[in-house]
Amino acid sequence: MDSSLVTLILLSLFLGCGCWLFFIWAVKKGEFDDIERPKHRMLEDDKNEHDQNR
Amino acid sequence: MTCFHCGITIPKGMLVTEQRNDETLEFCCKGCRGAYLLIIGAGFGDFYRRRDWQEPGFGEQAFQTAFHDPYLLRFVYQYGDLSAVDIIIDGIRCATCVWLNEKIIGQLPGVREVRVNYATSRARVVFEQAEITPAAIFSRIGELGYLPRPYTRSAAEESATREKKDLLIRFGTAFFLTMQLMAYSFALYAGYFQGIGAGIKFSLQIFSCLVTTPVIFYSGWPFLRGAWRGIINRAPNMELLIAIGALSSYIYSIYATFMGGEVYYETAAMIITLILAGRLLENVARRQAAVGVERLLNLTAGEARRFTGDELETVDVAELSAGDLLLVGPGERFPVDGRLVEGTTDVDESPATGESLPISKNRGDHLIAGSINLTGTVRVICDKPAAESFIARVARLVEEAQSRRAPIQGLADRASAFFVPAVLLLSTVTFFWQYSMAAGQLGTALMTALAVVVIACPCALGLATPTAILAGTGAAAASGVIFKGGDILERLSRISVAVFDKTGTITYGKPVVVEICPAAGVDPIEVIALAAAVEKGSLHPIGRALCDYAFVNDIPATAGEQLKTVAGGGVTGIVQNEPVAVGSARFLAGLGVTGIPGCVDFTPGTTVVCIARSGFWMATVVLRDRMQDSAPPLIAYFRKSGIRSLLLSGDRLETVQHTAGFLGISDGIGEISPAGKAGYIEGLRNKGETVLMVGDGINDAPALSAADVGCAVAGGTDIALETSDLVLVKPDLERLVFAHRMARRTMSVVKQNLVWAFIYNLVGIPLAMTGRLTPVYAAAAMTLSSICVIGNSLRITRYKHG
Repeated sequence: MDSSLVTLILLSLFLGCGCWLFFIWAVKKGEFDDIERPKHRMLEDDKNEHDQNR
Repeated sequence: MTCFHCGITIPKGMLVTEQRNDETLEFCCKGCRGAYLLIIGAGFGDFYRRRDWQEPGFGEQAFQTAFHDPYLLRFVYQYGDLSAVDIIIDGIRCATCVWLNEKIIGQLPGVREVRVNYATSRARVVFEQAEITPAAIFSRIGELGYLPRPYTRSAAEESATREKKDLLIRFGTAFFLTMQLMAYSFALYAGYFQGIGAGIKFSLQIFSCLVTTPVIFYSGWPFLRGAWRGIINRAPNMELLIAIGALSSYIYSIYATFMGGEVYYETAAMIITLILAGRLLENVARRQAAVGVERLLNLTAGEARRFTGDELETVDVAELSAGDLLLVGPGERFPVDGRLVEGTTDVDESPATGESLPISKNRGDHLIAGSINLTGTVRVICDKPAAESFIARVARLVEEAQSRRAPIQGLADRASAFFVPAVLLLSTVTFFWQYSMAAGQLGTALMTALAVVVIACPCALGLATPTAILAGTGAAAASGVIFKGGDILERLSRISVAVFDKTGTITYGKPVVVEICPAAGVDPIEVIALAAAVEKGSLHPIGRALCDYAFVNDIPATAGEQLKTVAGGGVTGIVQNEPVAVGSARFLAGLGVTGIPGCVDFTPGTTVVCIARSGFWMATVVLRDRMQDSAPPLIAYFRKSGIRSLLLSGDRLETVQHTAGFLGISDGIGEISPAGKAGYIEGLRNKGETVLMVGDGINDAPALSAADVGCAVAGGTDIALETSDLVLVKPDLERLVFAHRMARRTMSVVKQNLVWAFIYNLVGIPLAMTGRLTPVYAAAAMTLSSICVIGNSLRITRYKHG
């Protein structure tokens, strides 16, 4: 019981650390510098580029 | 009838139309039509459907500015194998503007990548220098009606960005670890009530200790450092309380882990995490306020045209030195202080002195950097390098005024100055008291003493001010009022005197025709047609007012011939083979015009021009600088709130007093220099008044800094915006009413929060001292108290403008 608990806690910490490192990478890369623009960028349908590509 | 492109109401006579698919589109100017054709031609007509503009129109210099490569190339830097330039794009107001700019610039040949940051309106354009020049990129942005400006990152900004990233990582780490910690803590809570095996309890406590340690020593490092500084300077501060709260529960928990007992790691971690969250939000709000201001910098930085032998070259203003000969055309700003050596012109010195009427300059006259050349092309000899110009001196005045400002202590900081020592004293007393009572039981005594620190933990106290200020500044920013810091709210809520600048703040700073008094039998429309004919293309404010009047009233004006501007006097020309003159009565009399009425009765605050044809006086036109519609309600509001209003201006005394009288302001002070304004405000402050200064223009900059709260109305000069504490996004003075109400409301919420936090402590501390409150309940009570404080602060956000 005791050891299984410790194992699970360690596992959760391990998984959590992965997310934490991902977060730090994102901050360093500047993903949080402009949090307004991407949500609009997503919605832009680039009709022209499609036409050009076709 | 509004312009299809920029959305402003089209003035009469300005209409430009464009036929498209059986539909006639209306534009306010050729520039807007050009921008429309460019956008449609590139296939981005969607822009008009998707954009979401709150405010119509473009900046005044849109479509007009010319771009020169030698100057712009200085801002180009190497980007991999390519070149890149950073551009601030003025006029971006919605996500669609960003989209449009990215697309249109991206279509230029040679441009490889465009990224526009919506939050800062900054673009990075990566391009192939062999295929396109920066001037072409800038011109393309200009054609769309936006105003591009080159931009270099300042060292201060770099460090601000680093600080924000650092704070974000510290917070993210703290948040992640605290989440882990809460899982263990809940298991321990359950164990506390239901019983738990000693082994499991110990391992959970060890894990808790493991995750809390980095929260305290990494995430909490800014607080620990601040606390240490507070101890060294013997100035107990907020950080000290946070550090004591976190450290005491942390250290006690380690003790309890090994000696047996309950642990309070979550208290320690929560204090750090919550307060970091507050810091982060505050930082974001402050950055947002700063970015808006930053965009408007760059008034003096620019280029000048210098003679090298007979050749003209465009150089950076910073490169100019004394003795350089410069050419300054109409509509340009004088880059440096200098003397006029060739030509005559009228100069608008209002940015520097506040004098709203143009001043005529002849050979040998002194010219001030930053003032605007209105009528003639002149050669100017540079007196001093740009760094020593009038504007630079004003900037130094501003710096001085800022450094003279006493460091502001937040309400909570002031409270903590006596609160921290008191809590420490109380817990020490408790320790010894309990130690003697419990006859040598060290553990019990220590635990009771620490319960006192935990219950007195400054969570609620620490959150009381920042959350309220954050909610207040956030709600204000959403309504177009930007506070450049929490202390500004506090000071604005206490103001006792409001000082206003006249030109450009209370008034528009541009004269308009208010009255036409024609000679008997003369048609006023004919008079205006004549005046507009000779004033066509004039940059002089009076000439422009006459032309605007003709436009707006659909009075057709034929173009005059042989137009001649006499600096400081007026204009002469030939219209339909008859000589026409427009100018002051003295100027016309000098030309031999007869029949000018000897005494023209006019009120102060107005300007009068006479119009003559073939040597006969035809009419006198009265012009007045129009008052902002929002000015009277603002003054009325301040009067009701018991705040004294004052009017200061560089203008003539009678003009100022007339305006003051009209607004119901008791004191109007005229003919006052920039330094004089600052001195006057200093005087008021020395008398114990808290002063709000509302202004616009460089001449206000020292005064804006000298005042407790400086407020720049947008559209004002960059330097004024930089020095002001409070920025109105739209030149609508009624927003000041809103700002003042918001400040008062926020401060009352702060006071409620502080009172609540103190009451909680007053009740909690005696309970803890007598050992009736174990730290678990203390921590729960503390959280509840924090929630109350945050909830109370959030009420402010519901208060909207209008």
